[in-house]
Order: sequence, then C-alpha cells, then structure tokens
Amino acid sequence: MRFTDYFALALRSLRRSRLRSGLTISAIVVGATGLTIMLTFVTSVKNYVVNQFVQTGQIRQIQVAQTANLTYSANGNAGGFNPGGTGPQLTPALELKIGALPHVTRVAATLQTGQQVVQYLAFGGHQLVLNGLSAYEADGVIEPTLVAGRDLGPRDTTNVVLLSQDYADALGFKGSYAKLVGQTVVLHTTQGYTGVGATLPNVLPPQNQCGNGGGGGGGGGFSKVCGPTSGLPAANLAAVVVGVVNGSYQGQQTVYVPLPWAIGILNQAQPQNVHYQFGGGCGPGTPGFGQPGQGQPGQGQPGPGQPSGGGGCGPVGGPQILGPSAGPGQVLGGWRTDTPGQYLSNQGNYQSFLVSVDNTNNIARVANAITHFGVSAATGLDALNKQKQGANIVALVLGALGLVALGIAALGVMNTMVMSVLERTREIGVMRALGARGSTIRRLFTFEAAALGFFGGLFGVLIGYGIVLVAKPIIAKTVNTGSGLPNFSVPLWLVILVIGGTTLIGIVSGLIPARRAARLDPVEALRYE
Amino acid sequence: MQIELTGVTKIYELGGETFYALRDVNFSVDRGEFVAIMGPSGSGKSTLANIIGGLDRPDQGTVVVDGEHLAKMGDAELSRFRNKKIGFIFQAFNLKGDATALENVMLPLVFARMRPAERKARATECLGVVGLSDRLGHLPSQLSGGQRQRVAIARALATRPSIVIADEPTGNLDSARGEESITMLETLNAEGITVIVITHDPNVGRHARRTFEVHDGQLNEKPAA
Ligand SMILES: Nc1ncnc2c1ncn2[C@@H]1O[C@H](COP(=O)(O)OP(=O)(O)OP(=O)(O)O)[C@@H](O)[C@H]1O
Ligand SMILES: [Mg+2]
Repeated sequence: MRFTDYFALALRSLRRSRLRSGLTISAIVVGATGLTIMLTFVTSVKNYVVNQFVQTGQIRQIQVAQTANLTYSANGNAGGFNPGGTGPQLTPALELKIGALPHVTRVAATLQTGQQVVQYLAFGGHQLVLNGLSAYEADGVIEPTLVAGRDLGPRDTTNVVLLSQDYADALGFKGSYAKLVGQTVVLHTTQGYTGVGATLPNVLPPQNQCGNGGGGGGGGGFSKVCGPTSGLPAANLAAVVVGVVNGSYQGQQTVYVPLPWAIGILNQAQPQNVHYQFGGGCGPGTPGFGQPGQGQPGQGQPGPGQPSGGGGCGPVGGPQILGPSAGPGQVLGGWRTDTPGQYLSNQGNYQSFLVSVDNTNNIARVANAITHFGVSAATGLDALNKQKQGANIVALVLGALGLVALGIAALGVMNTMVMSVLERTREIGVMRALGARGSTIRRLFTFEAAALGFFGGLFGVLIGYGIVLVAKPIIAKTVNTGSGLPNFSVPLWLVILVIGGTTLIGIVSGLIPARRAARLDPVEALRYE
Repeated sequence: MQIELTGVTKIYELGGETFYALRDVNFSVDRGEFVAIMGPSGSGKSTLANIIGGLDRPDQGTVVVDGEHLAKMGDAELSRFRNKKIGFIFQAFNLKGDATALENVMLPLVFARMRPAERKARATECLGVVGLSDRLGHLPSQLSGGQRQRVAIARALATRPSIVIADEPTGNLDSARGEESITMLETLNAEGITVIVITHDPNVGRHARRTFEVHDGQLNEKPAA
C-alpha cells in the first residue's frame, strides 16, 4: 500500500468517528499548547539573557574583584572601596599585569562612589537623588547599551555623564531621549566639598560651623566629620550628558562617569597649616540654640546651615573641636591633594576590573591565570550559565507538567485506538480477504494513531502561538522594563519538536492496538458481529 | 486441476472436545468451472470456502491452487494470493460504509499498490460491468440491497482474479435480485473465471455444472441429475 493511501484511509476513519477523534485530539492539544507556551517562554527568556550577554560583550568578559572575607578584624579588613577585602588589592599595577596576559584585549577598572560626596543631580527644576556614581575606564571594555547618544570614550575625562533611562524619564525626556543628549546637568556635592572643580579659599570658615546645619546631616545621614573644610559650601559640578543608557543595562538608576573624574571628585584637597583666629564666631556663647536645623533634608544649601550655626557652638561635632570661640582660619600652607594613585591606594584601590578576552574559548584560561594573582575572577560565561541553569530548571519543571498532560493524552489515544480496532474488526476481516497483509493493517492503525498525535500537536502549536501573540503585548504592558523585554516567539525547532513529539506519542500509543489488529485471525474477524 | 484439496481437515477445540468442521475433504475444481457447494447450516461450507480462498488454513491436508501449496505461503504471500487470484463475495456484502461504491471497488487495488489513476479507471470499468456506472459516488447506505451486492461483485472482480468465491451471495436478496446476481456470476464464468458458489438455495445450485454437498464436515459430490 502506498503512503498516501495509508494517510487517506487513516483520515477517513478518523473522520468517521468525529467526536471521538476530536476529543482524543483535544487531550493532546491541551498538552501540546502547554508545552508550546512553556518552552516558548523559557527559550525566549534564555535567548534574551544570552543576547544581553553577547550584545554587551559580557560573554567575553571576566569580572575581577578582590577576594573578600566577611569576618571582621580590627586591622585586617581593608576599608575604602573594598570593605571586607582581604586579598591583594586591585592596583593600577595589577591592572597592567592582567592587561599583559595573553588573550586579554583590554582591562577596565571600575569604582562605585558612595552617596557622601555627590548629593543630587539637578536639571531644570528637577533635583534627583543619586545612589553614587558608577565610574569606569572608558577604554571600550564597558559599553553600556544606549537608547540615545554615545558611550563614554577615552577622551571623556571630566564633566560628562551617561544617564540611565530612569533618570532621563524623571527629567521629562521619556521617549525623546535624544533631546537630553548634549544638555548640561549639575551634580550637586555635599557641603565642605574640596574635590575637583571646587574653589579652594585661603580663608576657612570658623571651624565650629561643622554642625553642618540640618541640611547636610539630613542629606543621607552622613554627617561629615567636623574637619577644617566642613564649613565650605557645596559645589555644582557641570556635566554634559553624552548618552542615555538602556534601562535593562545593569542598574536602572545609575549615573555613569569617566573614572578619572570620579577619582577627582572623591579625592578631597586638604588645607595645610590652618591658623584659626579665636574670639570670633559664636560670641558669648548664647546657649539659646536658635532653630534646630532649618535646612531642608536633602538640600544641604550652605545658606540654611548658617542660622543654626549658633547651635553648633557647643561641644558637639567632630573630634577637632577647637573651642566655641574659633574664628575663621587662614590657610597658610596652601592646599594639598593626593595624586590619583595615592588616593586610590589609600582607599584600597579599585573595586573591580572588567577584563575583555579575545575569544570566548580563552575565557577559562585567562580567568585561571588571573586567579593566580590572588584575586577572584568571575567569567561572564559563569554568570550566563548560572542564569541559563535557572531557565533550564524552570523549563524542566514546566516541561514535565506538559509531559504529564501528554502522557494522559497518550492513554486517550490508546483507548481510542483499542475502540477503533474493536469497532472495525469485521472491516479488518474484509480487508484481509481483499488482500491486505497483517502488516498493512498494522500500519493503517499506526497511521491513524499518528494522525491523532499529529493534529493534536499541530492545533496545540497553533493555539499556543496564538496565546503567545495575545500575551505578548499584555506582558509588555504589565512588566514595563523600559525597552528590555524578551522577544517572545515560537521558534521553528519547537514547532517541529512539539508536533513531532505528539506524533511519536500517537504512534507509540497506537502500537499495541495496531498490533492486535494485525494479528486478528481474518476468519474470526469476518465472523465478528 | 486448478484447485486441489487433499485430506483437508479443520478442527475446533471446544471445551476439551474436538469438533471437526471439515473432515478429510478431497475436492478438486478445474479452471473455468462453475461449482456449487450446498449443505445445511453449520455443516462447514464457509470453512471450506475460506480454506480454498487462502483466508483460513486447514489443520491437516493440503490445498494447491494453480500448482502452489498455500501451506507454504507466509502472510504476505498468502495476502497477495488472495488479492490477485481470489475474489470474495459475501452474503452480508461487507462494504465499507464510509466509502463510495467507487472507493469500495478500488480498495483491493489499493492493496495491490496500483496507481490511483489506473485503479480509478479499473474500478469504474468494473462497476460498469455490474451496471452501476451511474452510482459511482453513492455510499452503500444510498444503494439498494441488490445494488450493494453488485458493488461487492465489482469489488471481487477488480483485481481480475481467476477464481471467484461467493459465500451465500443471494442470502440477503429477494429471489429476483438473487437470480440477477447468479446470472452475473454465470456471465463471469462464461468469460473463463472459476466460480465457486456456496448456497443452500437449490435454485442457485441448479446453475452449477457440478454440485457438492457438505454434511457434518464431510464433502460428497452430488451425482448429476
Ligand atoms: N471459531 C470457531 N470455533 C468453534 N467452532 C467453530 C468456529 N468457527 C466455526 N465453527 C463451527 O464450524 C462449523 C462450520 O461452520 P461454517 O461457518 O463453515 O458453517 P456453514 O456451513 O457455513 O454454515 P452457514 O450455512 O450457517 O453459514 C459450525 O458448526 C461452527 O459452529
Ligand atoms: Mg456459512
């Protein structure tokens, strides 16, 4: 018998008992639909994760950090940028060494500033909270994905920023990110700022001003140690926005600056040889204390700090209190700033290196070489595999559920086929009399069972695809992550897998009934009522 | 001899007792003969017919058709034998209810792996022979009893067999329709096809050149009247 004849005959018998065939197919459809949706979801998320890794180059990157030990020891743990860090620090020298390793193309150092120095970002009428600055060496290793503008480049050393999408949105540029590019925003520092861009006076305010008003203290709760510069005003650092970073890239609320600038901002100049005049300032020490802190929280304007200054004249404040009658101080020795290297070294050096490797295949080797320097090296591949593993577990669990549904559907197919064979016993006898072999009968029923599975899978995939299509905009609406959303689509291999799988299930389920049909004695079959 | 049965015995074991459906049957038919097998109900006529047609196998004895021992054939070979050499006609017509007259007649040609266009032409031709050219697309349920039997005859002829075995072809028909069917078989016989008719209708038996009688599984030739 020809293939097409098997197919035509099988279809005919399915059509003859439409209701039963329909119900059997429906059971398969349920499983196939579930499987399609689940696998689509998981593979889309997986692809999305991989794409993110590939697009951002993370796939070929190694994250280097100082080995850390969380056990506190009074003198062992380095402070600064790497609290808890115990191993060798990420020094500029180490950066050079890593850069010299074979297969390493570039190394970028990163720093994350705290909230202490830069308080908020101002633009137009807006003042936006800053969770510190994310600083990196713009040598091409770290390239945030952008929605507008350009990445930081090696020539961007100071006074430029990349803003993440959330900041752009908050500044009123939602949807027109390109317009934000080229605008100048202001990074407003805390009071007493003496980093890069600050005007360093020759005369310091009386030191007892260090109470810092309600404002500075309110801004994040990091009341500055009452040093000689604490009474200096805050600075406004201008920064040109060169690009807007896609919200799905790293943190959603991040301001990126070039590493040299970040160090310049953090690295505070110290006045040398300050000579204070006594007798000024507080006067007769009125303990009335005025209004306690008129500065608005988060707005450490120098102005509001002043009125309550009288209140600061007590024995409060930092360790360097010289007395309630301290007057302005003369900076006799000028200002001294650490070199960036010194500063870094004092602070425990960089927080991380991002190492770019020439080829994915060399990642493990390079990572291994890096760990020989005594630092930790996490590859993008590791991170990716971890995420993929997560997706795999989800896929496994969901897939298992789908398979259970299909297993039940398989029993349905088997039942239907047993019924079909029983019902058509006489017909089987007639076909045998007309010259059908036992194997022909077997194949005929196998085809029938396969067709049940095939159509179940086909409709399942179609319905699953439809549901994915409908669900896509709904997911996009509810899970608003800016622009980063997996592209939910049913891949071809999944279509083939599901339809092939259900067809196979049909065949396997039909095996026993089909064999029974084939082994029927023709005479007995013909006699069957 | 075209058909030669020697010592054919068919036994059924029923509750420990052996029942002889056929007992030491010797039977031979020449090419182009028209023979009738008669006998009371349950005597073993159908069993004999099925054994001749290669649908059933005897427990003892040999069946030789056109010089070939059916016992030596496997399922595939025997199926092919039935397909090519034998045309079965049943009392109950046994048409496929969900298939048209044309499709029913094409079915043995499907098993013969004939090409679709060819088998359609052949089936149309066979339905023409039985006078149903205008009923090709009718389902069995849309045909009368006599027409159904004619479709069954056309189906038996489709592969151009040399032997037609009709088991009670008139059993479900009125006498006029039965007569029609027998006349049709006679026409086929006249064209050289060997016809074996099983019946207990003496009127049908009269058309045969030779008549056999089965009694309790034993076969005897009735002397010509
Ligand atoms: N599978 C079987 N098991 C037991 N006995 C059987 C079986 N098949 C047939 N028989 C018996 O064999 C005998 C012959 O049966 P067969 O069908 O050949 O009779 P028949 O002559 O064709 O009868 P009818 O004229 O009613 O069709 C019957 O008595 C029947 O009961
Ligand atoms: Mg009978």
